[in-house]
Amino acid sequence: MTTMDVRNAALVDQAPARRSWWKALLADRGAMLALLVLTLIVLAAVFAPLLAPFDPNANSRAVMQPPAWSERGNWQHILGTDGQGRDILSRILYGTRLTLLIALVAIGIGGVIGSGLGLLSSMYPRLDPWVMRLNDMMLSFPAILLGLAMVAVFGPGVWPIILALAVASIPDCARIARSIGIGVMSQEYIEAGRAVGLTDWTIFRKYLLRNSISSIMIFLSLRFGQVILIGAALSFLGLGARPPASELGMMAAQGRDFLLFAPHIVAVPSVAIFIIVLCANVTGDALRDVLDPRLKS
Amino acid sequence: MIETILNRLLVSIPVLFGVLFLGFALVQLAPGDPAQVQAGPTATPEVVAQIRQEMGLDQPVIVQFGRYIERLAQGDLGRSLISNKTVASELIVAIGPTLELMVASLIWSIPIGIAMGTLAAVWRGSLFDRAIMALSVAGVSLPIFFICLVLIQLLGVKYPIFPFIGRGGPLWTAEGLRHIALPAMSLGLIFIGPVARMTRSSVLEVLRLDHVRTARAKGLTEREVILRHGLRNALIPVVTLIGLQIGYLLGGAVVTETIFSYPGIGRLAVGAILSADFPLAQGTILVLAIGFIVVNLIVDILYARLDPRVQKK
Repeated sequence: MTTMDVRNAALVDQAPARRSWWKALLADRGAMLALLVLTLIVLAAVFAPLLAPFDPNANSRAVMQPPAWSERGNWQHILGTDGQGRDILSRILYGTRLTLLIALVAIGIGGVIGSGLGLLSSMYPRLDPWVMRLNDMMLSFPAILLGLAMVAVFGPGVWPIILALAVASIPDCARIARSIGIGVMSQEYIEAGRAVGLTDWTIFRKYLLRNSISSIMIFLSLRFGQVILIGAALSFLGLGARPPASELGMMAAQGRDFLLFAPHIVAVPSVAIFIIVLCANVTGDALRDVLDPRLKS
Repeated sequence: MIETILNRLLVSIPVLFGVLFLGFALVQLAPGDPAQVQAGPTATPEVVAQIRQEMGLDQPVIVQFGRYIERLAQGDLGRSLISNKTVASELIVAIGPTLELMVASLIWSIPIGIAMGTLAAVWRGSLFDRAIMALSVAGVSLPIFFICLVLIQLLGVKYPIFPFIGRGGPLWTAEGLRHIALPAMSLGLIFIGPVARMTRSSVLEVLRLDHVRTARAKGLTEREVILRHGLRNALIPVVTLIGLQIGYLLGGAVVTETIFSYPGIGRLAVGAILSADFPLAQGTILVLAIGFIVVNLIVDILYARLDPRVQKK
């Protein structure tokens, strides 16, 4: 078979496959629901200042008011108020914003560095053992340890946590990007590109990156939920976001003292985290199953 | 076998150095001048300079790193700024409880996860399978602190069956067991989901292999096929997964210990960091990191034992 035939065969193979992955995704009702909810949550977070009925930091005398559907609740504060009389719905909207932002920035930084390293090591086999060794070393620091270490040095705050989550994302991401990249580099179009004298940079940009980016993105979406959970846990411990900012993990921690009288102060932000992470996990799983079953292992 | 272990040990050495360097860097990066702290706020610059010389702080960084390792080897991790006890003595007291918590969480969650995953694979596509898979996705999406607080509310306050503060004593005493019940339940719960999922996909893969077909063909019962030929081989990736998830478990342990005021390394670490007790923070992070390396080492060795193919590579 000539190169041309292989290419045509690949194109023929790809055209129906492209249409069918959308169909497969649309047919997965659970995943569509998760995607819809996730989209709504992201929109709500983005437009928090417009949607929030109250100033998230404004205290009121209505302290520890339960949500509207319970006996003593009222519809003014739909999700009730916290220990300082702040409107929980407004704080949830802003808190989701910060929680999502922390995870997104961390995944973004870690994803770019990690996949850059992985793809480079798939392109230059001489680099490979070094990158992999560095990777093994970084794998020895679980995210929570990096978080503790960063906070020990820089003090509690959002940035140390973002830094820790980003660094913790690098090794896994590099490993996946490398294995995807090796697959792409063995394709004949790379050889063809080399033969017509394209520079390494062009090959990297036009072929390697373009052909591996979707798989890398799927992997990152699978990781997203975990990053949110670790970030929220660190903030819950008081190591992340600082008051008066609202962050979902920190909000849950603030409700701990009122667990007996006003369990909703803990429950509402916790359930919010659960819904976000669940939707992210279900969507990521479905995307992977449909688009790239190779990542399944 | 021995070769595998030695190889693996060799790989751990640079990692260990990385960890030690991290610990060292923590001390270096910590705010405040140790010599100034030692000398007190009223000391003259000359006295501070002299103390700096005595402490070796005027030496090049690499020499200081060497000294640091020398001190570590002697078990000298400095003193806690808050309690003024030696860091080593604080750490030794906290290691046991953390290990107990890990064991108490894994000992029930791993068998349950494996059983659930196997049954889900055997009854693939059934309602049970779908329920287990849905539960495990939900399980990995729950924040650990929420699980802890719900269990406290339910089994500690509403139905006061278990205490939820502190540690009652060693694991083999009744009081110790009662106290560790809720933390171990919380921490184990987050582990069942991943184990069940991994077991299911692994068993499904193995059941497709030729030797399973042969076992069926020679007339073994389905039960024998699954237990003797399926599960045994399917557990190898599960062991790897458990190793990979130890970091995740560690994170859970830090949160769980803090919520239950359980006197382990995790709580010690969080407390030290929040109160800017740098020597203690550094010690706890070192112990956690080294513990993580050791567990990974054990998992890798176990893996090589379970899978003869690994040794040949």
